[in-house]
Amino acid sequence: MEITSEQRDTLTELINIGYARAAGALSDLTGHRISLAVPEVNAYKIDQIAPLLQNVIAGEVASVNQIFGGPISGNAILLLDKAAALLLNRLLTDRPDAGALDDAGREVITEVGNIVLNACLGVFGNLLQVQVSFTVPSLQIDEVQQVIESVTVRDHELRYALMIHTRFHLRTSDVSGYLVIILGVTSLERLLQELQKWEDRELN
Amino acid sequence: MTPSSCSPRQQPGFTRALLNWMENLAPYGVITLNKDFEIQTWNGWMEKHAGLLADEVTGKNLFTLYPSLIERRLSGLFSRALAGEVSFFSTALHGYLLPLPPASSDASFEFMQQTARIGPLIDGGAPVGIIILIEDVTQRERQAATLRQQHERDKILSWALGHLLKTDNPRRVTRDLFLKVAEYLEFDAYLLYLLESSDNKLRLHECGGVSPELRQEIECIPPQNSGWLGSWGQRGPVVGTDVLKSTDQLMESPRRLGFEAFISHPLMAGDDCFGAVCFATRLARPVLASEVELITTLSQYLAVALSRSKAHIELKEARDKLNEHAQELEKTVAERTRTLRESIAELETFSYTVAHDLRAPIRALSGYTEVLVEDYGAGFSPEARKIVGKLSKSAKRLDDLTRDLLAFSKVSREEIKLEEVSTDDVVAEVLRISDHREANISVRYPLGYVLANPTLLEQCLMNLVDNAVKFVKPGSRASVRIWSEIASSASFHSASDSAPFTRSHYALGHSSESATGNQKFVRIFVEDEGIGISPEAQRRIFGIFERGVITNEYDGTGIGLAIVTRAVERMGGSCGVESTPGVGSRFWIELKKP
Repeated sequence: MEITSEQRDTLTELINIGYARAAGALSDLTGHRISLAVPEVNAYKIDQIAPLLQNVIAGEVASVNQIFGGPISGNAILLLDKAAALLLNRLLTDRPDAGALDDAGREVITEVGNIVLNACLGVFGNLLQVQVSFTVPSLQIDEVQQVIESVTVRDHELRYALMIHTRFHLRTSDVSGYLVIILGVTSLERLLQELQKWEDRELN
Repeated sequence: MTPSSCSPRQQPGFTRALLNWMENLAPYGVITLNKDFEIQTWNGWMEKHAGLLADEVTGKNLFTLYPSLIERRLSGLFSRALAGEVSFFSTALHGYLLPLPPASSDASFEFMQQTARIGPLIDGGAPVGIIILIEDVTQRERQAATLRQQHERDKILSWALGHLLKTDNPRRVTRDLFLKVAEYLEFDAYLLYLLESSDNKLRLHECGGVSPELRQEIECIPPQNSGWLGSWGQRGPVVGTDVLKSTDQLMESPRRLGFEAFISHPLMAGDDCFGAVCFATRLARPVLASEVELITTLSQYLAVALSRSKAHIELKEARDKLNEHAQELEKTVAERTRTLRESIAELETFSYTVAHDLRAPIRALSGYTEVLVEDYGAGFSPEARKIVGKLSKSAKRLDDLTRDLLAFSKVSREEIKLEEVSTDDVVAEVLRISDHREANISVRYPLGYVLANPTLLEQCLMNLVDNAVKFVKPGSRASVRIWSEIASSASFHSASDSAPFTRSHYALGHSSESATGNQKFVRIFVEDEGIGISPEAQRRIFGIFERGVITNEYDGTGIGLAIVTRAVERMGGSCGVESTPGVGSRFWIELKKP
């Protein structure tokens, strides 16, 4: 199942709104001016995701994931490579690190991931007028392959993934990450339906 | 719904049990709020750590109880929960959610460090309230902070070690190092004293955080006043706290400098003291063991670096002195050699002149003695004839002496040119001239070619043959053998088999041991079966006027061998003898093979 370029554009717009909210929340939270760049949104089949990610992220990733449910359900993951996670932690807490993410650092990444995921999923819920519920975010540091597998192994229905390249900009540094929203066929169809409805509403 | 078809979770008893656990046994805080943010439940953990009983807080608005939540703009977390959002709240970004006192009496943090999760309570698909979970992570954070400090400390020590090892002058590194350390320890002053070897006083080398006036006062410290630096008496770290209140005499200097707390350490490498360091602050504060440890390690590093530097300098100075001495020595030697050469030249000139000038009067003496014998001898009485005979002999002896001395001088003084000379020819000539009819002289030809001066070589061989013929056992006939061998390296051994001689020999001049690998030598032997020479005499006989015999039985001036030695030396060779008294002698001269 493919998404059209118009659908992709609408999706991008939606994510943008979510990101604006996330950037605001992050700025509030940390006291630093943080902005999130305009995302690039693409849709893939689930088995294409891991190889794609492995191309752009080397080694281990820090992943924050939240399961969401309701009329649209699936799994949302924010992925940062180790260097990005360390840098983000350093920039946000102003603490020197010994080159590895300690417990406190992991929590920081979890919170940041939580804020970004909440913002995007929340925006889905609000604007598409659907009720979405979330689980508590969980952090996993592992190889990309392992992360994707552990997320999809539970639910065979999950077939598609929206991959959104994300760039955080704070204190003259750029940190790159990936937001991956994994959905089943029904959810994706429903999402696209709701997307269309939203666009129609907007145009009127 | 029958009990059996209910899942365990749905059975009321089970639910009650679960709730009971959360109330009383959960190792974290659990708070529930209704949609108006009023506290519904407050578990045992919260009671213990907030110091408030559930009865006291139930029904109260959370923000009324903890107004700081609003001041810190955290109320959004709770309202978003009502909209269905779950929030994760990290200690690194916020420190704590609720201002609860830390569990242990620990001054590291003002409030308990917490990580929290805030989310909706959903019933029938809609949020009915909020649940808050609070986790105490103070212990963890304290340990992490300690680890971080240790990491920082290690970084400083690594930096110090690296820089101190790289430089050959540690004093250049100290300023940056001390600034780094002072900053890390949050001390506002530092002092570095170095021991002056000239007067054994401590001189201030680096100083930070002390006014110029005060600096002058402490610029130079005699060792007996340096107790507070740890470099007098028992040498070790000195820690001062609450110094301004102290009445201890030891603390007088730091007190005058306004230090409330300080750490001093001497710079010791083995038994050598190089100085001392002091880090201080004007704020009253405790001094930690880890800080003292840092300063101790640092002092050790610095002391070792200074010791190394000193050793280097001393080594260089020693080398320079040695070079100087060597040069002086060379000059002296050159000077002395020159003087010596001048003296020798003078002596040689003198001896030549004397010998030369003596010849005429001696010739006259000989001549007239002869005339006396020839013309008037017939008329002499036997006693008179005897006396005249003695006169004649003495005159001849004088003549021989001066002649030999002259020959010796000539050998020493004249320019000689070396050429390829046929030893065979020279030996043949020598035998022809000397005409030793009574002797049995055998030569093993060929003798080979040598690099020599023909005249000098002739003189040498003549003298050796003369000696061999002369010093025979009384009544026997001289038996002389002449041959040659080629020698090319050290430890030359004679190939001759008929050698019942002692091992003792004495070689003069250019020893064959010092021959270079390429240069070959020819050794010419003159062997006799004469009276032999004792080992003590063997040494002496090559000297001028020395004789191997004590008596007057044998003729000779004692200069013959001296001439051989000098001649051979000048031709770049050497000479020697092997001999056994009563058996015979084997003289040899060794010359370069062309």
